[in-house]
Amino acid sequence: MTVLLARFWRPATSRRPETAANLFGQADRLRRAGRYAEATQLVIRGLGLDATSITGHLLSAYLHVARRTIEPAKQEFKWVLQRDSSHPRALLGLARLALEEGDLESGREALVRALRAYPEFPEAQALLDGLATRQPARSPLRPRLDRLRLPAAARALLVCDGDGAVIAERPEAAGAGGRRIARAVGLAAAVLQRAGFSALRRGIVEDAGEAHFLRADATLTLAIALPRTTHITQGLLEVNRLWAAAQHELAIARDEAAEASAPASTRRVS
Amino acid sequence: MSRLRLGLEMDGSSRGRQVRDIVHGLRGLQAVRGALLVAADGFVIAADVPPTIALEPLAALAATLGRDLEVGASKLGGGAFQTALFSADDGTLYLAASRIGFVVALADPQANFQVIRGALEEAVTLIDSGWSPATPIGTPI
Repeated sequence: MTVLLARFWRPATSRRPETAANLFGQADRLRRAGRYAEATQLVIRGLGLDATSITGHLLSAYLHVARRTIEPAKQEFKWVLQRDSSHPRALLGLARLALEEGDLESGREALVRALRAYPEFPEAQALLDGLATRQPARSPLRPRLDRLRLPAAARALLVCDGDGAVIAERPEAAGAGGRRIARAVGLAAAVLQRAGFSALRRGIVEDAGEAHFLRADATLTLAIALPRTTHITQGLLEVNRLWAAAQHELAIARDEAAEASAPASTRRVS
Repeated sequence: MSRLRLGLEMDGSSRGRQVRDIVHGLRGLQAVRGALLVAADGFVIAADVPPTIALEPLAALAATLGRDLEVGASKLGGGAFQTALFSADDGTLYLAASRIGFVVALADPQANFQVIRGALEEAVTLIDSGWSPATPIGTPI
């Protein structure tokens, strides 16, 4: 019986020579099941057989991105683009890496190039739309919220206006995270929209050490960083209280600015 | 091979079935409209979302958001990103990081936050235990 089975099975495996295309096909199937380590080994073997395969290098780039090894991924996408300057998947990949690094202009440029080559490219269009929600809409009036206090348990407090400009930060070093928070808020708003939901109102982001509670509308984003152990209800109460305080202070600042810009004859005399 | 659609359909391996089961399990929770598992490169590993939602654009944006939160967490010194939720008046997006990508759930406003968060954590634990890498993350290719 064993001999009989061996006769059936052996020729089936030995008849097919290993080709780069086969290896890349298998690697792609494994990648699609999240089996990145095994896929990586097949891509390495495939590129050993055909070092100039665009498919192989693209797969390699995808696998690097999936495993969060960014610099090699970038090199692989660039390798593809050196041979095919309008390859849409390589352009999309580079765009996403640029966005991760906060380089919005390079990201936007790569997406536009991809859409020029393939106008019906839904992922590229979605990312470009996500960036459009973060286009600056600068207002000449940018009040500072100097009276907002950092809650005792909080590590940081940040308030940004609609274009991501920081209008309050406690402590002062927290302002460095403003752009990043604005970008995350813009992306979250875009995901909600794609999922069929309306505008972003609240968020909670938890990492190993902290929980970030945020509230947002079209003109304002407020975020506080609290210890990870903070109860959700407590965090929501804190962010709601600060949101009300920020709105109150903004209203006062607007009134003061309007009064300052009014003609002298119409100013209130106190 | 198409330049837009590289490769073949997902195979029927046990791991493939496992991720599909995880996603279907999330989708089966009360008030959950849809769920998906998306790789960090934006590729959809498994999904169960209403046909009215364009899957690939949603996945591309969700993966970009997930990576943004991961990179942001490491740069701001808060430790590794774990979970996030973003809510609108008419629904909530849940997102959790796993070894092979991001687990996403879309829920109605009346969904039980603690139940969904618990289910996401369970999904991530299942994925991470089933996908221990044969070679470490970051192995040169």
